[in-house]
Amino acid sequence: MDAIRTENLTKKYNLGWRKGRFLALEKLNLRIPEGEVYGLLGPNGSGKSTTLKCILDLITPTEGAAWIFGVPATKVESRLHVGFLPENPYFYRYLTGGETLEFYGQLCGIRGAALHRRIEELIELVGLAKARDRRLAGYSKGMLQRIGLAQALIHDPRLLLLDEPTAGVDPIGSRDIRDLILRLKQMGKTVLLSSHLLAQVQDVCDRIGVLNLGQMILEGDVDQLISDQRRLSFTVEGLPAGGRGQIEQAAQAAGAKVVGVEHPQTTLETLFLDAVRQDKRGAGEHD
Amino acid sequence: MTERVGFSVARVGTIAANTFTESLRQKVFNILLIFALVVIASASFFAEFAFEEDVAVVASYQLKSIKDTCFGALSVIGMLIAIVGTAMLLPNELENRTIYTILSKPVRRLEFLLGKYLGTVLLTFVSVVLMSVMFLAVLTFKEARLSQPAKAVVEQTESPVEKQKAQEQVAKIRAEAFDPAIVKGILLVFVKLCLLAAITLLVSTFSTSMVFNVAVALLVFFAGHLVGLAKEAWQAQPLLVYLLGIIPNLDLFNVADDIILGNFVPWAHVGKVTGYGLVYLSGVLAAAHFIFSNREI
Repeated sequence: MDAIRTENLTKKYNLGWRKGRFLALEKLNLRIPEGEVYGLLGPNGSGKSTTLKCILDLITPTEGAAWIFGVPATKVESRLHVGFLPENPYFYRYLTGGETLEFYGQLCGIRGAALHRRIEELIELVGLAKARDRRLAGYSKGMLQRIGLAQALIHDPRLLLLDEPTAGVDPIGSRDIRDLILRLKQMGKTVLLSSHLLAQVQDVCDRIGVLNLGQMILEGDVDQLISDQRRLSFTVEGLPAGGRGQIEQAAQAAGAKVVGVEHPQTTLETLFLDAVRQDKRGAGEHD
Repeated sequence: MTERVGFSVARVGTIAANTFTESLRQKVFNILLIFALVVIASASFFAEFAFEEDVAVVASYQLKSIKDTCFGALSVIGMLIAIVGTAMLLPNELENRTIYTILSKPVRRLEFLLGKYLGTVLLTFVSVVLMSVMFLAVLTFKEARLSQPAKAVVEQTESPVEKQKAQEQVAKIRAEAFDPAIVKGILLVFVKLCLLAAITLLVSTFSTSMVFNVAVALLVFFAGHLVGLAKEAWQAQPLLVYLLGIIPNLDLFNVADDIILGNFVPWAHVGKVTGYGLVYLSGVLAAAHFIFSNREI
């Protein structure tokens, strides 16, 4: 069954009297099977958030429709198994982390011992055990994002919609969120991830769709889309002097052309994470 | 087969409790409430300035003055708490994006709106109760002080005439201080505040500015107190009077003047005005629900 399906989903915003309408999304046909991690990519204003809002019935599409697990998005029942993390959430400043999760749990009909067990699990999962009884007004951006993830997961939903989940989060927090998405994937959850951080999407998504100016301009399997079928690259270790020339000659003999030779590079993210992890001074729990 | 999600009173209660807790922890509410309690407590001090010699007349004047100040504080500070508390609800939800996290769960928009409204009503109720307790404390304190000379006469005098006169004075002061009609006045102030909160919520369903919400609600508050006079003045023009019916007649809820002057306020009148308030309030909430259900968030 498709976790998400949209048909000709179109949204035009009224810009005001005599200013006409702005086309934010045009005839989007999306199918995300259950268990898939799907990345919705696109520059700012491309229609990513509009898509998520239409799916969650926060806004009404001008044309077309959306379904969640086969239930029309306009029905409240469609949101029974959905968790949503909006972009840059702030939550209730005067509630503590624990109270926040209790509130969202109760909204989902979880009460008593089951709710408290679930809160404990999630607080541990998102690494906020020490900040559980602190009011959200004192939380950093990364901590707010973590509590946002926890509230999205409170009722153990089958589908998660994450709108820029790592926006404003430091690289360590960003990596943690990435790992969490991978764990959710292993648990069989469906994730729709909206982001413009391409490296992160590449790491976690099975398929991606690229939106631009409200239209889907590219969609497909991540590995297939990014692999260049016309070229092959070898990474060689322990190559003796003169070995490079022999390889180039062998390639020419086979009718191929060497177009580039370089030392493999690590990513800046790996470099950063290694440096921080190797720094043993231990300033305490990061946020 | 999809599980059906019906209207849930428990979800409304959860949202109301959350709204109440949030409001209670905000400084603006606490400052307003402390200010109200100080004003009510000081009513006793202001009432001291009476230039009469007759004990009963002075007592009556001072008690009337206290009731006047306390009803004024209840009405004005209560109005500010109800309006400001409600006006910031939806704009804050939108600004903090908490509304997305709530409505993306199996929560109906009606449940959300009612929960928000009832949270403010609870806040207003607690404020009114606290102010009323302070009101009663001031009256108790003042009654004890004012009736002290007469009580001394009752204990010390040998003359049965003087004793009876003093006993009558004590009873009169007690009756005036603890007039049960005060409860009727407070009840109608509370219904009026609930109505104002509903009107503010209606405005905030189509506006995103808290300042605009407060401004419109204050305008309705003042217009509501003048609409009765306007209807009388424009009696000759039925269409105008009919149109003025849209504005709630808030003067109807003001029975404090009658209570202070000692005029009888029948429960039937209180019931009728409460009924008017509840019908009007239900209409306003229905309109708010209609607009909010179709609002793009």
